[in-house]
Amino acid sequence: MSKMGGFGLGVVALVALLGTSAPVTSAWAQPAKGLIRIGTDVDSQSLDPRLMRETTGFRAINLIYSALIQLDDKVSPRPDLATKWENPDPKTWIFTLRRDARFHDGRPVTAADVVFTYTTILDPALNARFRTLYTPIDKIEAVDEGTVRISLKEPYAPLLSYLDLGIVPKHAVEGGRDLNVNPLGSGPYKFAKWKRGSRISLEANADYFGGKPKYDKLDFVVVPDNTARAQAFEAGDLDLIQSPLSPRDIKRLAAAGKAAYAKLPGIAVTYLNINTKSENLGDPRVRKALAMLIDQKTIVDQIYEGTDQAATSLLLPSLAWSYAADVKQPAFDPAKAKALLAEAGWKPGPDGIMGKDGKKLSITIGTHSEDPNRVQTVEFIQNVLKQNGVDAKVAISDWPSFSGGVQNGRHDVGLMGWVALVDPDRLMYGQLHSAGGLNWGKYSNAKVDAALTAGRAAASLPARAAAYKQAAAELAEEMPYYVLSYQGFHVFTDKALTGFVPDPRGYLRSLAAK
Amino acid sequence: MLAYTARRIALLVPLLVGIAVLVFLLMHLIPGDPARVLLGDDATKEAVDRLRASLGLDRPLPVQLWLYFQRLAAFDLGRSIFQSQSVASLILARLPATLEIAFMALLISALLGIALGVAAAVKQGSPVDVFCMMFAQAGVSMPVFWLGILLMYVFAVELHWLPAIGRGEPLPSAIGAAFSGRPEVLLKSLSHLVMPALALGLSNAAVISRLVRAAMLEMLSSDFVRTARAKGMGEGVVVFRHALRNALLPVVTVIGWQCGVLLSGSVLTEGIFGWPGLGQLAVNAIAQRDIPLVQGVILTFAFVFALVNLTVDLLYSAIDPRVRLG
Repeated sequence: MSKMGGFGLGVVALVALLGTSAPVTSAWAQPAKGLIRIGTDVDSQSLDPRLMRETTGFRAINLIYSALIQLDDKVSPRPDLATKWENPDPKTWIFTLRRDARFHDGRPVTAADVVFTYTTILDPALNARFRTLYTPIDKIEAVDEGTVRISLKEPYAPLLSYLDLGIVPKHAVEGGRDLNVNPLGSGPYKFAKWKRGSRISLEANADYFGGKPKYDKLDFVVVPDNTARAQAFEAGDLDLIQSPLSPRDIKRLAAAGKAAYAKLPGIAVTYLNINTKSENLGDPRVRKALAMLIDQKTIVDQIYEGTDQAATSLLLPSLAWSYAADVKQPAFDPAKAKALLAEAGWKPGPDGIMGKDGKKLSITIGTHSEDPNRVQTVEFIQNVLKQNGVDAKVAISDWPSFSGGVQNGRHDVGLMGWVALVDPDRLMYGQLHSAGGLNWGKYSNAKVDAALTAGRAAASLPARAAAYKQAAAELAEEMPYYVLSYQGFHVFTDKALTGFVPDPRGYLRSLAAK
Repeated sequence: MLAYTARRIALLVPLLVGIAVLVFLLMHLIPGDPARVLLGDDATKEAVDRLRASLGLDRPLPVQLWLYFQRLAAFDLGRSIFQSQSVASLILARLPATLEIAFMALLISALLGIALGVAAAVKQGSPVDVFCMMFAQAGVSMPVFWLGILLMYVFAVELHWLPAIGRGEPLPSAIGAAFSGRPEVLLKSLSHLVMPALALGLSNAAVISRLVRAAMLEMLSSDFVRTARAKGMGEGVVVFRHALRNALLPVVTVIGWQCGVLLSGSVLTEGIFGWPGLGQLAVNAIAQRDIPLVQGVILTFAFVFALVNLTVDLLYSAIDPRVRLG
C-alpha cells in the first residue's frame, strides 16, 4: 500500500516538476528580440540558388542572395542587382548592375558573377532542376564590370520573370566553397547556422545595399506535419506559417482571430492532366464531356473547404495582366455531357455503362497518396462519373510512382498541380505546345502552338496577353487540361509582426525591409 | 557468455547482408526514378538519361548490387543523391536524436507499464485495476500521430507548459550542463523531449502493463509467493522482490521487440514534433527515391534493432539466473 502511495506521490511530483518548468518553456516560446520564427514543412536540401529544389530552399535563398531582379507581391519584376534593363531587340537584354552590392565576405558583386551563375546553371553536368527555364539563352557576357548582356536563340519574353535567380560568388565557388551547405550571397540576410532537419538560421546583413533589415534574425523551423505546425503557431512557438496548411486548420485559425491572416490568390493550380493519346480520350468531345462531369463547386467548397478558388481557365487571376474572365472551360453539366458523349457515339449499355463498338468507356483517374485532399477529390470524381455511365477507376500511388507514370504518358487522367507560375508561359508552353518538354498528354494543335510561340515572341504585355488568351480559349474547347482550382495561398502571422507583406510564392523579402 | 555474444554478433553480418539485398531490390523495383525527381518535372528525357548514367542507374541490376556491396565492404554507404553529402554523415547527424527519443520512450513505457501492471494485479478487481486496464485499452487504441497532436494541443497550446516543437540541447550534454550547475539546460531539454517520448511510449506502456498484470497475477497466486507471505515477509518485498522479478522475464522479451516499434513509430512522431531524427530523413529519402540514403537508414535501423535484441538476450541471465547462455 505504501508503495502505491509512493507512486501517487511520484505522479504529483512529476506534475509539479512540469509545472515548475513552465517559466522556462514559456520563455522559450517568446522569440528573442528581433527573432522571427517561420514554420516550414520540409528541410532544405541545398542552399545553392542554382540547385535549389524545394520551397524552404527557395525562401531562404531569396533572403541570402540578391538577383538581377526580384518579383514583387504582384509577381512583377522590380530592380535588385540590376538597376535598369533594356530590350533593344527581341533577342537581346542588357542589364546595368548597381556597384555598391557586396557579398557577405565583403567582395563586390560584378558582372562576372552574374555570367558565372547563368553559365554554370546552364551546364548540364550541374544537374540543375530549373536549367530548362534558361535554355533559350544563347550567350551571356559581361560587357564591363557593371553591365551584362544576354543574347537569346529566339525571342523569349518570359525570361525576365525567371531572372530572380540568386547570383553566386564566382571566387568562392571556384575556391571550392560548397554553397549547398555553406551559402554565400549578397542579400539582406546572412547564413548563420543549419541544424539539419530542424532549423535554418539567418542573421541580418548590416552592410546590405538596401540597408540593414529591421529584424535581426530569421529562423526557418521545420515541422513536417501540417496540423502540428498550425498548433505550434497557436502555442506561440512560431511567428509565421503559410501554405501548405490543411483546410480545416485554415478555417479554425482564421475564425479564432488571434493571428493576422491573409488569403492570396496563389500562383499555383490543381488540374487534371488528360492524356490525349489514351484509348478513350483522343476525341475532344469525350474530354469536354469529362470536364462537364466534374462537380467543381462541390470539390472546391467541400473537400478544399473554400481555401482554393474554382478555376475558369488556364489563365490565372493572380497574373492580372494576362487574365481574361471571359475565357471559360466547360462547367459542370451532366445532361450536356451525356449529349456530347452520344454525339461522339457513346451509348449506355444494359449495365448503364457507356459503350461504343463493343468497348466500355473506361477511364482511370490517378493521383498521389501524399495529398489526402487530392485522393478524396479523385474518389469523388470517380463516384460522379460512375453515376453518369462512365466506368471510372482510381489509381493511387506515391508521388515518384504516380508522376513517373504520367511523365511517360502511361495515364488516362492524372490529378496534380503546377506551382510558381510567374508567367503564363510557365503553365502553357512546355505543357501544351506540341514541342513542349512537359507535354505528357501528347497534345498537339497548330493553332495553340502558334499562339504560344507568339506569346513568347511578343514584346509588349498586351500583345502577349492577347496571344495567351487565344491559346487558352482554344484549349478550353479541346480540354487536354482541366484546371480544377487556383490554389489559394494562406498566411498567418503573429499580430506583433509588423511590416510583413504576404507574397503568393511564400517569399519573405518584406521582412528584410529597414 | 563471451563466445555466445561473439557468435550473435557474427550472425549480424548475414542478417544485415540479407536486409541490404532486400532494400536494394525493393528500391530498384518500385516505380519512380531518382534522376527524374532530382531534375524535376521540367527536365528533358536526355537530361534524365544523362543523370541516370552518371549515378550508375543505367547499369544492369546485378552490377549495381555488386558495386554496392563492394562499397559496403569498405564501410562506405555512398553519397546521398539529393543532399550532396555522404550518407554516413547524414545518418550520424540524425541518429542521436532518434536514439534519444526512442530511449526515453522505452524508459517511459517500461516504467509506466510495469507500475500500472503491478498496481492492477495487486488490486485485482478494484477501481485501480479498472482504471489501469482502461488506460491500457485506450493506450493500445490510440495511434501515435493522433496522440502526438492531442498532447501538443493540451500541454503546448492550452496549458503552455511545454514547447510544441523542436529539440533542446542533446540529452548527454544537457546532463553534463546540469552537473556543472546549469540545471535549466537539462530542464529545457527534457521539456522538449517529454511530449514526443510520451506520444511514442504510451501505447507500448499499455501493452507492457497488460502483460505485467497477467504475469503478476500468475506469480501472486503461486506457491513460492504464498510461502514468502507465510514466512511473514512484508507485502512490498513479496510483490517487488519475489513476484515482479519472476514476472519480468516475458516483459523483457517484449521490450526488446518494442524497440522496433519505437524506431518505426519515430517516423511519425518526428514529423509531428519537428524532431530532427532519422525517421524524417527516411520518409523524405523514400519519397524522393534517394536510394543510397534509404539503404543506409534502413541498415542503421536494422543494426540498432538487432543490437538491442542481443542486449535483451544477454539481460535474461542477469534477471533469471536459471537462464544460461551458450
